[in-house]
Amino acid sequence: MSSQRDADHQQIIAQLEQLLEPKRVLTDAESLENWGRDWTRFHTPAPLAIAFPKDINEVQALVRFANEQKLGIVPSGGRTGLSSGAVALNGELVISFDRMNKISDFSPVDRTVRCEAGVITEQLQNFAEEQELYYPVDFASSGSSQIGGNIATNAGGIKVIRYGMTRDWVAGLKVVTGKGEILELNHDLLKNNTGYDLRQLFIGGEGTLGLIVEATMRLVRPPRDLTALLLGVPDMPAVMRVLERFQKAIDLTAFEFFSEKALAKVVEHHPVQRPFESKTPYYALLEFECLNEELMEQAMNLFEECLEAGDVEDGVISQSLSQLENLWKCREYISETITRWTPYKNDISVVTSKVPMFLEEIEQVVNSQYPDFEIIWFGHIGDGNLHLNILKPDALDRDEFLQQCENVSRQVFDIVQQYKGSVSAEHGVGLLKKKWLGYSRSEAEISYMKAIKLAFDPNNIMNPGKMLDV
Amino acid sequence: MKILVAVKRVIDYNVKARVKADNSDVDLTNVKMAINPFCEIAVEEAVRLKEKGVASEIVAVSIGPKACQEQIRTALALGADRGIQIETEASPNSLSVAKLLKAVVDEEKPDLVLLGKQSIDSDNNQTGQMLAALAGYPQGTFASEVNVEDGSAKVTREIDGGLQTVELKLPAIVTTDLRLNEPRYASLPNIMKAKRKPLAVKTPAELGVEISSTLTTVKVEPPAERQGGIKVGSVEELVEKLKNEAKVI
Repeated sequence: MSSQRDADHQQIIAQLEQLLEPKRVLTDAESLENWGRDWTRFHTPAPLAIAFPKDINEVQALVRFANEQKLGIVPSGGRTGLSSGAVALNGELVISFDRMNKISDFSPVDRTVRCEAGVITEQLQNFAEEQELYYPVDFASSGSSQIGGNIATNAGGIKVIRYGMTRDWVAGLKVVTGKGEILELNHDLLKNNTGYDLRQLFIGGEGTLGLIVEATMRLVRPPRDLTALLLGVPDMPAVMRVLERFQKAIDLTAFEFFSEKALAKVVEHHPVQRPFESKTPYYALLEFECLNEELMEQAMNLFEECLEAGDVEDGVISQSLSQLENLWKCREYISETITRWTPYKNDISVVTSKVPMFLEEIEQVVNSQYPDFEIIWFGHIGDGNLHLNILKPDALDRDEFLQQCENVSRQVFDIVQQYKGSVSAEHGVGLLKKKWLGYSRSEAEISYMKAIKLAFDPNNIMNPGKMLDV
Repeated sequence: MKILVAVKRVIDYNVKARVKADNSDVDLTNVKMAINPFCEIAVEEAVRLKEKGVASEIVAVSIGPKACQEQIRTALALGADRGIQIETEASPNSLSVAKLLKAVVDEEKPDLVLLGKQSIDSDNNQTGQMLAALAGYPQGTFASEVNVEDGSAKVTREIDGGLQTVELKLPAIVTTDLRLNEPRYASLPNIMKAKRKPLAVKTPAELGVEISSTLTTVKVEPPAERQGGIKVGSVEELVEKLKNEAKVI
């Protein structure tokens, strides 16, 4: 039986090698592990093979072949996902876009540029910079994440408050559907009211409908004179009042928050300077384009108002680009710093105004039931997006901790549901959040989603088992 | 004890500098400007001396157009007590700057003058030394540690291959190196307070100094573009290329 299966596998691999060329089909154990998973480490990858197509025709040939063979396909980009959306566990064919990384057809008038799916985010950012333009979707993994993956997961990041998610920057898409058809979606138009915008289904579709092969991305004027304020804030409601005050007067490019616990860990483990001596329970990091002196004056006045109202206790402003960079480090180093405590992580969102109550409720649940757990909060508060992190107490073993966190998840998602929030703000559903999808989406919605999935992918070969089961 | 600290407005250290199309100079239009990092270290050191009770007054001085008041305000926010701007549209060379500072030293009679070892725009590393000569004061350059006690300053200098400690009788000139300290952020409450601190504006003429230009910049060129990398197939090929193409082995 098993030898029969092996023989079948060998045959499929031989055919794959014919479709591409042998050196672009990898089956060694190391490659299978490397390309068979994303950043998550909950599963053991077990793909059949890794294929590296060079163009859209090869991708189409692979999808058609997979349909004939009823072979599952897992798309693979920069593999920086955090929801196990790009892991292959059941002998799937992994299609990696590493060899499709050309940038072409830059149009200065349209301010668009065409990217193959494997273009690395930073590559696009650098290309834009050379044209004196800017690609504004930016996050910690931009040095390895790929545009195709960014689109499939609708990646967000640190500038969403000003520039939106990846969705807002996709002018057009070229995809191969689960059926193996090539679709050119939206033709890079700004205005195109001709019925359903199928492009939007592929954005954030996590590869369950088809493969994104090429995208036309929009670019924008680069921000000038970015300046950051880091403010010490006494409590969460005050953080929201600070946001309200500043947003009324200034277009913010970022509004992040983190707790004193988070900052304490960063300054302890990195050569990062505490921005000011006084410690406050929370910190808000605001960034804006300081285009002229009036804006600077305005920021100062707003700070003064916040100070007088007691919403802010102390604060600094970046006076050079290195200070700007260093202030950002206080926020950006958190995630990496806390990995040593093998944290439980969750990426959730609610409507921005409800963040304080929401956060308080979650803290109450965790603190009352798991008094040994240390909670580290940070996130894109301007977008209502919170990253909840719980550090593993040293005394607790890993499995026990993970099990207790499973209970925490259920309670957290109960609260998310009450607040009509999202169980996954920007990391996607993948395998990790699949069973919680019902906490954010109604049954009726999910059944429509399944119908859409089957319309594009009747044989359920596209990233099977991710996001939802059909 | 009074400290005079000099600050210069320069192109921000993190800006990717572009050269003007005619190669006459670095293009500064719409470019972020900031306090010279070495001057920032000098200000920080002055503030620390004041916090230790060694210094009682810090005067920050800058030379340049009105915009350089921004950097004086930064120094005031960091802890300087008052500022002096010597207003000029010219870009004075090191000797002119030293002469202007000498005139300020004559007026203010500081016990210690702290300067950055050099500014990151012109990279001359001359002003502190010239000022010491003009004023007839002892100098401790490239300081990585400064201790002031009983009318003298012990300065640890970063020299090639090690450290040297010199003792200077005050008044003295000290120029700061990178490792002297880590400057703090200017806090917003202090930035607001700094707006009310006194800032005097003087002209070179009032100080009796004529800015002469004895030096002309002939040409400014950007560094050569980096060549793209290549992949080699084998160690043999690598060795061959290092030998015959790169000619490094």
